Amino acid sequence: MDELLRTDGTPHDASRSLWQLLESIGPDELSARQAATELDILTMGITFTVYSDGENIDRAWPFDVVPRVIDGAEWNQVERGLKQRLVAINRFIDDLYHDRQIIADGVFPADLLEDSVNFRPECVGVDPPNGVWAHISGSDLVRDDDGTFYVLEDNLRVPSGVSYVIENRAVTKRAFPELFVDQSIRPVDDYTDELNKLLSSLAPDGVGSPTIAVLTPGVFNSAYFEHSFLAQRMGAELVEGGDLVVDDDDCVYMHTTKGRERVHVIYRRVDDLFLDPEAFRPDSMLGVAGLMRAWRAGNVGIANAPGAGVADDKCVYAWVPDIIRYYLGEEPLVANVPTYRCMYPDERDHVLSHLDELVVKPANESGGYGIVIGDRATEEELAACATSILEDPRNWVAQPIISLSTAPTLIDGQLAPRHVDLRPFVLTGSSSGVGRSHVTAGGLTRVALRERSLIVNSSQGGGSKDTWIVDRHGGAPPAVPAQTQGDPS
Amino acid sequence: MAVLTRAADRIFWAARYLERAEDTSRLIVSFGDLFADIPATDDSDRRWGSLLAVFGAIDPAGELDHTDERAVVHALVSEATEPGSVRSSVASARNNLRTCRELLPREAWKVVNDLWRFSEEQIDRADDRRFRGGVLGQVIDESRRLDGVLQSSMLRNDAFEMWRLGRYLERADMTTRVVGVRAAGIMQAGDSLDYDEVHWMGVLRSLSALQMYQRSMHGPIDPALVVKFLLFDTRFPRSVSFCLDEIGRSLDQLHEPEAVCDALDGARAVLTSTTADAADGPDLDQAMDQVQQALASLGAAITERYLTVPDS
Repeated sequence: MDELLRTDGTPHDASRSLWQLLESIGPDELSARQAATELDILTMGITFTVYSDGENIDRAWPFDVVPRVIDGAEWNQVERGLKQRLVAINRFIDDLYHDRQIIADGVFPADLLEDSVNFRPECVGVDPPNGVWAHISGSDLVRDDDGTFYVLEDNLRVPSGVSYVIENRAVTKRAFPELFVDQSIRPVDDYTDELNKLLSSLAPDGVGSPTIAVLTPGVFNSAYFEHSFLAQRMGAELVEGGDLVVDDDDCVYMHTTKGRERVHVIYRRVDDLFLDPEAFRPDSMLGVAGLMRAWRAGNVGIANAPGAGVADDKCVYAWVPDIIRYYLGEEPLVANVPTYRCMYPDERDHVLSHLDELVVKPANESGGYGIVIGDRATEEELAACATSILEDPRNWVAQPIISLSTAPTLIDGQLAPRHVDLRPFVLTGSSSGVGRSHVTAGGLTRVALRERSLIVNSSQGGGSKDTWIVDRHGGAPPAVPAQTQGDPS
Repeated sequence: MAVLTRAADRIFWAARYLERAEDTSRLIVSFGDLFADIPATDDSDRRWGSLLAVFGAIDPAGELDHTDERAVVHALVSEATEPGSVRSSVASARNNLRTCRELLPREAWKVVNDLWRFSEEQIDRADDRRFRGGVLGQVIDESRRLDGVLQSSMLRNDAFEMWRLGRYLERADMTTRVVGVRAAGIMQAGDSLDYDEVHWMGVLRSLSALQMYQRSMHGPIDPALVVKFLLFDTRFPRSVSFCLDEIGRSLDQLHEPEAVCDALDGARAVLTSTTADAADGPDLDQAMDQVQQALASLGAAITERYLTVPDS
């Protein structure tokens, strides 16, 4: 499906204003506006860093000026689903580090936990504030031909991209000012305030006005722009490991022009294993020795909590619908891509009889290794795949082949359909309900700029778009009463 | 309000680099003007080489042809591999500020980023005399625009004071260098004393000081008065005394500055004592060397006190 257009070439209701404007200004004016946004991006220094030829290069953020539009009513459902999903996932993580009730009840297999590379024994028994481990999540969504949104994966460790959601909007407002006047497009600017509130809530007891620090691996990290951006928007300190020290009192301090000052909350953008050379990799130069000590003692809040990545895992993904049902007693409001687990006989039988329609993935490999795409594989490959599944069913999952939706994109001066995905960012402030959750209005739309390509990563030629959640109120906004004419006296 | 030690270091150095880029640009433009007024006297004219002497570290191996205007200007302005060039200084300032954007008003980053993009794209054109004034003029303007943005919209916190310390320390240093090189120039010029007044006008111009000097002295260019003006006039923002006073004001705002204040007092004392009898010529040149050493000690004291993470 296309995000803006119906199959007959007319726009969806929510994208009608945008489409009318695009048709009225024509490709030349559109190209001029695209050029203006690119200049904007250069001037504002909106960049991402790529590693190439042994060098880290700061590149201008790739951006397509044509927004992707989602109907507000439709989005509300996705938003509720994401909040529900992350509350359940947080309950699951907390359970894994405590009583493991879900395993005792036979809903989640014990050996999957034992095999998990992201489980951190150092975190067992820790009680982070409000029961939340994965405070910030970037969930990748795709849309299938029938228009259904599916969660493709949950990024619970150090998801990035939210700064570009906000910057894309700022740039787009200047490109299409007329469209922001006459329709209701939900703002995205409030994210950093919500994040700030959430981080403040992680401060140790009794700290009224906490000092918050964003911990970055440094200027060569691909997401450094974002680390800096978030620190700017929250008035937080942007720190590197070398700026911090954990003292004998198990508190975290930063070196300042006035000597050591206490840090109460750390939004870390450093992976677990590099966080604390005392607890994890002793060779890490990015972390802070003693940070885990300080966290376990309750002297510093850390988001996302160390160990949260245990639920960010291809295996666990397949269980998320069960996890939602188990902890919340609710049906999932936003769908998983149906995932067949070959360890269960009925699901395995389905996989074996539909191999040519499925993507088959080894459960414990990452980076695309060992994946068999049914409709592109030869008979021999499919037969070999079936043998592998029967030999070790636990190691295989399978999913239907999803064809990503497209959106009109400016390519060589003309609009052409290109595949897109969507990464909304979900904040979870409490695991006892969705009342303290927040979802960005839309999220980061990534677009594969090459024809028919499904690769949306910005490091591999992908671009991005502003995402509009448009509310249609079935008419004009409430009229402002006309001012009384005449002499005010 | 405290600032991270690492960020303090980056801001201090960003300020120094930017001041260096601005001062170098001004110096080169005014030297070009000056030489246009004074015809070369013989084939072995080495006056562009005296510009290199201002910067000491540039061309220590003596590889440059000191009579070739284009080569000298290229080394000082647009050579990317020369750490002291305007281009490198701008890039260093931008790289430093990129890591502390959260401490600055957003427009400040935009200015320095614009300046860097301009420099990367256009600074080569300054090698050509016809475009030099325009290109370097823009570097000067953007540097001042950044000061204006910070002056009018930045929090008065330790980060702001670090910016001021860097700016004024570098500016004081540059003023002593310009005065010193002019004084040294006396030794080799000899034949051009006819143009003494024009020379000193060039010195004043290179420090944006000509009109303010005339306003202040109501009279003709007098070498002794020019030196006094550039070193001691506390009403003129590029004089060494003015810069030291501003550094003192910033130190008043910072936490436990005693050791740095001592170094500042030391620099003031050196400035007064060494220049007492040095009106011009070799004495003045030597005096300026000593003031530069005292400023270097002041810089070291600032680094030790505010820009270094103590060993734990």
